Amino acid sequence: MEELKFVGKDIPRIDEKEKITGAARYVDDLDFGPNLLYAEIVESPYPHALIKKIDTSEAEKVEGVVKVVTGKDFPFKFGLYMKDRYIFAQDRVRFVGEQVAAVVARDPKIAQKAAKLVKVEYEPLPAVFDPLEAIKEGAPIIHPELGQYSHVPWFFPKGGTNIAHHRKVRKGDVEKGFKEADYVFEDTYKIPRYAHCCMETHISVAYYDLSGRLTLWNSSQSPHVQKALIADALSPLGITEKDVRVITPYVGGGFGGKAGVTMEVIAAALAVACKGNPVKVRWRRDQEFYNTYMRQQVISKIKVGVKKDGTITAFQIENFWDAGPYVEYGANVVNASGLSATGPYRIPNVKIDSYCIYTNLPAAGPYRGFGYSEMLFSVESHMTRIAKAIGMDPVEFRRKNAIREGDSLAYGAPMNPNGLIEAIDKVAEEIEWGKKEESKDPKKAIGKGFAIFWKAPAMPPNVSTTAFLKFSGDGSVNILVSGMEIGQGYHTAMAQIAAEILTIPIEKIRVELPDTDRNPYHWQTVASHVTWASGNAVKRAALEARDKIFEVVSRAYHFNKDSLYLENGKVKCYLKPDFELDLKDFVINGIMKEDGYYVGQNIVASGQFFVDFCSALQDPETSQGGHPNVHYTVGAAAVKIEVDKETGKVKILKAVEAIDCGKAINPLNVKDQIIGGLLQGLATALYEDMRFDKNGKILNPNFTDYKIPTSLDIPEEVVPIIVEVAQPDGPFGARGMAEHPMIPAAPMIANAVEDAVGVRIKALPITAEKIALALAKGEKEPDYYWHIMK
Amino acid sequence: MSGVISHEFEYLKPKNLDELVDFLTQYKTKAKILSGGTDLIVRIKDGFESPEVLIDIKGIGELKELKFNGNSLFIGASVTFNELIDSEVVRERYPLLWEASKSVASTAIRNRATLVGNICSAVPSLDSGPALLDYEAEVILKSRNGERKVNINEFFLGPRKTVLKEDEFVYGVLIPFINRKNGSAYVKLGRYNGEDLAQVGIGILVVEGKEYRVAHCAVGPVAARARKVEQLLNGKDLNDSLIEEAKKLIVEEISPITDIRATKEYRIHMAKIMLERGLKAAVDRLNGKGPKYGERLI
Amino acid sequence: MRKISFILNGEKRSVYVEPNDLLLDVLRDKLGDKTPKYGCGRGDCGTCTVLLNGKSVRSCLILAVEVDGQEITTLEGISKGGLTELQKYFLKHNSFQCGFCAPGMIVTLEEFLKKNPKPDEEEVKEAISGNLCRCTGYVPIIRAVMDYVKNK
Repeated sequence: MEELKFVGKDIPRIDEKEKITGAARYVDDLDFGPNLLYAEIVESPYPHALIKKIDTSEAEKVEGVVKVVTGKDFPFKFGLYMKDRYIFAQDRVRFVGEQVAAVVARDPKIAQKAAKLVKVEYEPLPAVFDPLEAIKEGAPIIHPELGQYSHVPWFFPKGGTNIAHHRKVRKGDVEKGFKEADYVFEDTYKIPRYAHCCMETHISVAYYDLSGRLTLWNSSQSPHVQKALIADALSPLGITEKDVRVITPYVGGGFGGKAGVTMEVIAAALAVACKGNPVKVRWRRDQEFYNTYMRQQVISKIKVGVKKDGTITAFQIENFWDAGPYVEYGANVVNASGLSATGPYRIPNVKIDSYCIYTNLPAAGPYRGFGYSEMLFSVESHMTRIAKAIGMDPVEFRRKNAIREGDSLAYGAPMNPNGLIEAIDKVAEEIEWGKKEESKDPKKAIGKGFAIFWKAPAMPPNVSTTAFLKFSGDGSVNILVSGMEIGQGYHTAMAQIAAEILTIPIEKIRVELPDTDRNPYHWQTVASHVTWASGNAVKRAALEARDKIFEVVSRAYHFNKDSLYLENGKVKCYLKPDFELDLKDFVINGIMKEDGYYVGQNIVASGQFFVDFCSALQDPETSQGGHPNVHYTVGAAAVKIEVDKETGKVKILKAVEAIDCGKAINPLNVKDQIIGGLLQGLATALYEDMRFDKNGKILNPNFTDYKIPTSLDIPEEVVPIIVEVAQPDGPFGARGMAEHPMIPAAPMIANAVEDAVGVRIKALPITAEKIALALAKGEKEPDYYWHIMK
Repeated sequence: MSGVISHEFEYLKPKNLDELVDFLTQYKTKAKILSGGTDLIVRIKDGFESPEVLIDIKGIGELKELKFNGNSLFIGASVTFNELIDSEVVRERYPLLWEASKSVASTAIRNRATLVGNICSAVPSLDSGPALLDYEAEVILKSRNGERKVNINEFFLGPRKTVLKEDEFVYGVLIPFINRKNGSAYVKLGRYNGEDLAQVGIGILVVEGKEYRVAHCAVGPVAARARKVEQLLNGKDLNDSLIEEAKKLIVEEISPITDIRATKEYRIHMAKIMLERGLKAAVDRLNGKGPKYGERLI
Repeated sequence: MRKISFILNGEKRSVYVEPNDLLLDVLRDKLGDKTPKYGCGRGDCGTCTVLLNGKSVRSCLILAVEVDGQEITTLEGISKGGLTELQKYFLKHNSFQCGFCAPGMIVTLEEFLKKNPKPDEEEVKEAISGNLCRCTGYVPIIRAVMDYVKNK
């Protein structure tokens, strides 16, 4: 392989200078002039109630109030995978904080004051907050019309119940597998809800101009999907996709929370109601917690059979997902993770039931790791316990059962090339697995924990992306894509890929943030697939540009195209060593021949990537038959911790994580993704969780009581390790890795805590409090779970 | 509610104490005193406070004073926590207050938040409470009718309740200097190492001559001294069995609740451990050993 | 409405405000300085941090009327004369990802490094512990500061 000059290099981020000088503009930083209106939302105080009457008259009288909008103004549904949600509540509310009405005013203070004057009469209904309760006979039915909702063909809602989707996977014969096993281990694990906590809250400014054009400026991971979903939701008003434009400047963090559509559709509706004025809806931090998405709670019942030699013979899991009252996106989390619920193991007999359950807690959905961060807690906790129970080293157990290239997945398709074993070995070596260590402080104990993981991009089977590439007269390049730079380093990676093909320095490349009018289609920036998919599109665009460049030069100089190559931004010829032509000399204006006539063309190019090798249509009873996932990214991780046996406090002495990203387009960025993502995961393991009161109201919608880690809470040492087993269809062999760092965090902490002090915690988070109380009371498997406070 | 403030109020900034007294006499409970605002502004946003008038005291020079006269330290009402941390006198002579101040929130909050504001908010978790109680500080209250001094032990009446009358304000706090060798420790339980409200706070002051002062916060409606524990310890050398007795006794003196931050059970468990570690650290420090002030003790 | 005047990034600015206007909103919406950001509105996250008379404060917890006659510095002011030495190290170390915490973080470090020009790593962590960052795990930020301190 030729030596790469840009790909695989630690190129500094191309967006960094804007960010450190404050030049980077986020939606709230844009000016919209004195006509800008501000919205305040009237929210439901009940978790489940019928709306009897809304009186907006007092609010409308307030000077400065432009409009008060309620559900009757917009009786329209929206949703990505399942249309189960209205822009504003119609006849009933289903969670505390749901939008019932909005006041639009000239000033945010006026809007806030007037919103308090909107009177809503409710008739409270029984509510349910526990997914296991919600599927019992006689539970309150949250969506009586579920059977009539439209949804993607690979979902299976059960009308008349609270089950919005049930993903079943059946492979081999699980009962036979349990019979073949020497030991069968069974347990239940609980994973609470978590919040993304992007530093920038959701914001949308929508402007419906007097001609009927709708433009939105959103903090979003999904400009094109938002354009489509918002146009679809408002289509009864005659709005079509061509008339909707979504502009997405820099985003202050995404992590899945800004995927799909949440509050942006409210801004769009309000703008339509206030034609001619831009309307701003900015979530306060508390709203950010309860009215975007959270991560879903899951109760995981797992049963695994193994032989004495450690071979896994059977795997059965039931994951009960609390998706909240609207599953329009969250149902796909349940679906995707259901397909992959075994974790990265080769298992002949598998039975998976992944239930998406409606509850009256706020809506939940995608969060970095998309189901895998949640469900692998039970799998990876369980695997370590099984290994210990049969007297096998947990790392050896994983090595023995780890999935390998070509192995059949739970749904029958083959596993892609991967470096899982290499990752396991490198992590084990770095953490000095097997070496027992003792704390100098007799009150403290040191333990190590290990976990492996995988994740496939969870996407529809027909994901599409396009890149445009255009030259300017000085030879510099603008690349137009609609993946989002949400902090992961996407723009830099795209610039590196284009630079590699075009041999021009990174400084001459600009990658443009999305504007759906200008930038071509890209599905969404989710699922850790943009480096792979958009990277392929950018590479193809660059190759097309290169081809056009050679075309022009060969026509002007009569060289054979095949004899031309690029070097340092100049066209050169293998056959004419003294020939060189700088790109800037002709990419716009062409090449003048001796007779004064020109040969040329303005060099612009496009590249596309469309997934045409997947199918999500599988047998609904077994999930066999299709090919729902493009590929898996795998990895392994371990921690060394010190636990204070009295206080229960956990100190992370060292964390190691290896991920097989196929090819690190930018190793520095890959390593920094691992460091940052791992801390986000460690926080879910150690102290974050959403708490609700007995009426389903969030108790900690703020950073005072939802503790996201500070600089004082980072591990003493983090060692990121890059593994590169090429993805055959990836750009330069790359596949995505940005969600993955957080996935192994929780189980490896649980495993390390048990290793250190002999306490097995099966409900997240693994707080100092849980550890200390268990130790004080001599409990080996404490059952503390404080998701709903009594 | 963490966005704009839609509640309307008048803003007054007295130039001197007389003006402040006049304003308070005039507006009484309709007014709130504003200094750092790190608690008050949040409470106004949340709708827990709706004052008609905010009286900003940062224009009054006297209230910014931080003075040591050899016998006592005067901390004016608008002295911030960072000013305490940066003060040589506080660091050298009132290390328990210094350590407690360091544990409050983070720099940008401590640049505004004041010690007097902390005691006036009178939340059960106030970090300055145990130190002031152990040092037996006096709170100087002023009003149109003159001045009175209240021992910090009598200052707190309940969560967010103090002895402050409606036209009174806290002028400052006076902390006597202990002219004997002493060692101390503020042990704070948070959910992690970053800033957090105390789930349990234990302040220990050990004075040469086997005198022990123990105070707590966040484990009862108000911060308070643990007198029974002190009685047990006073006059004795610290040893393991004495510590065990003290740990049993502290449980009788606290009345923690379960809330979102911690369970009652864990608070009780930790109060004992923190008492033990605090006592040991304070005695070690008295003897010129032990962890440096400001180091994490749990 | 009352008129207040203060020095913003070295320039005297006057503006009419209501008593309940927050400094953060006045800086952003009335004076056009968008570098301090709204993150939590409760002083917990640090994205709105500015310097008030050289000291870092939360502009979401300060009334605009309180800064009459005072001096405010934001990241815009810090960046006006070109990249500072510290900013060059942030560039080198890829210190920020989404970038939303950067203004508050850099303003906080501006105060801190003036006060303590040769800090150790623990002191740096303590100094920025009130500025939340959800992306980076703080390591690239600390890495840059320590490299800057070492080479200063």
